[in-house]
Amino acid sequence: MALQLNKRYVKYYFEPVAESFEEGFWEHIKRRELVFQRCGQCREWLHPPRPMCHKCKSEDLRWEKSTGKGKVYSWVVFTREVNPLYVVPFEVVLVEMDDEKPVRMVANMLDTKPEEISFGMPVEVDFFDVTAEQTIPIFKKRTS
Amino acid sequence: MSLKDKACIVGIGSTEFTRNAGRSEIHLAVDAAMAACEDAGLAPEQIDGCVRFGTAGAIAVEFATESDVARCLGIPNLRYFVEAPWGGGACCATVMHAAAAVALGLANYVLCFRAIRAASGTVRYGRPANIPIDSHWSWTMPFGFQSPTSWVAMFTQRWMHETGATREQLGAVALVCRENALRNPRSMFYGRPLTMEEYLNSSTMCEPFRLHDTCLENDGAVAVIVTTPERAKDLKQTPAYVAAAAEATGWDSYCMTSFYRPEIGIPEMEETGKDLFRMADMTPGDIQVAQFYDAFTSLVPMQLEALGFVKKGEGGPFCEGGDRIRPTGKLPINTSGGMLSEAYIHGMNMISEGVRQIRGTSTTQIKGAERVLVTGGLGVPTSALILTKGR
Repeated sequence: MALQLNKRYVKYYFEPVAESFEEGFWEHIKRRELVFQRCGQCREWLHPPRPMCHKCKSEDLRWEKSTGKGKVYSWVVFTREVNPLYVVPFEVVLVEMDDEKPVRMVANMLDTKPEEISFGMPVEVDFFDVTAEQTIPIFKKRTS
Repeated sequence: MSLKDKACIVGIGSTEFTRNAGRSEIHLAVDAAMAACEDAGLAPEQIDGCVRFGTAGAIAVEFATESDVARCLGIPNLRYFVEAPWGGGACCATVMHAAAAVALGLANYVLCFRAIRAASGTVRYGRPANIPIDSHWSWTMPFGFQSPTSWVAMFTQRWMHETGATREQLGAVALVCRENALRNPRSMFYGRPLTMEEYLNSSTMCEPFRLHDTCLENDGAVAVIVTTPERAKDLKQTPAYVAAAAEATGWDSYCMTSFYRPEIGIPEMEETGKDLFRMADMTPGDIQVAQFYDAFTSLVPMQLEALGFVKKGEGGPFCEGGDRIRPTGKLPINTSGGMLSEAYIHGMNMISEGVRQIRGTSTTQIKGAERVLVTGGLGVPTSALILTKGR
């Protein structure tokens, strides 16, 4: 199970689009690095990214590498096909990162059955090539 | 200064609710608007304001414009018009804007409407969205996370974990709405009862939701007309006073995908509720019947908690067995069948049902109903209303 694409329908892939202040996230993903936006002044973590630190209003925002480790905060299992590109059943997880501030992000799971997923389950990031040009972050089970 | 009792709903109108209306959104909007005028005892030419649904996360929600409706109804001029954004979150906000406009004299009679072809039209809410490019969708869509059902399922799953709410408790919401729909000949599910067994065994959509946790997809339109209490005296119907109207984004909101804030539930309804009850000078205990936005079953117990009817964690138990939310219960809900069982008109049909309760004309009439709550869509910035019989 886990994420499995029916490549016949790759035209139904929603290519990420980015605002100017979001481009860095996807550029790093292409290089197989997970980064989050962080304020250079007050050190607040921001995800999804924004043009200004919501806390101290600074625009000195940088990309900082994530530990890539986190825990499942919530999840859903698609059991009925919505988009034929995605073979059902497949999971979407909302992961709370083990970084200094636990930002959350959405992604799919690798090599996992729906019934294996639980609240607080430890996961770590990996990367999944949708096409030669398109990479998305994905999570896999973590034992340590 | 407060908006309390400065405006009332004097007309309600709707089309039939159906899987295929056989006509366009503009046609549906015009039919519902005409029905609302007839209900109020107004000539369409007297309408001089209009509030329609705006965009939700860059998606154009309403296809019929105020100009379309004005042109087709022969309205000579609109001098007040505005859009309320965020899909179903907008429903009660349309009345809030209309009430503010008539209270300030910006218009005399304001038409609020929603025309939808969620079954036969081009936008199907349960299907892969043909969505305009907007970067916030990039945090969900590339992962196949592409339906409103799945987005609400994500925060419902977390809420069920935190509160211990059960499938049977959600099922009770679906069953009570269906029972109410069986008394309402307009409802899509008229004559089609639902049992707990059928609910529990219905096909899975997106875990934790099954078929009967999700609302209808249908065609139809609903319109309501708002004016001042003074003008209402000359009209046909018992006016439903707007005792309070409020809206709120809550912290860190996105279109249905607000998964990054401290609590991923429905804080927008908590914020709406604070302003709402303050304006009405009421507490939740004063509400005699509620029309809770029920695009999904879980939204009912979650709203009971967010609005302070019960404490956090008690929304599920309150719904258990259904007796507390039945017409004879402590807080009767969704007396037309709601969007789970009457029709999905983005909440506008919940407002017209709230008005019927004030008039005493519901097919599931709650005796002596004088204070009615109506709420808007969740997971998006939302809105709510308290309607009363007035001073």
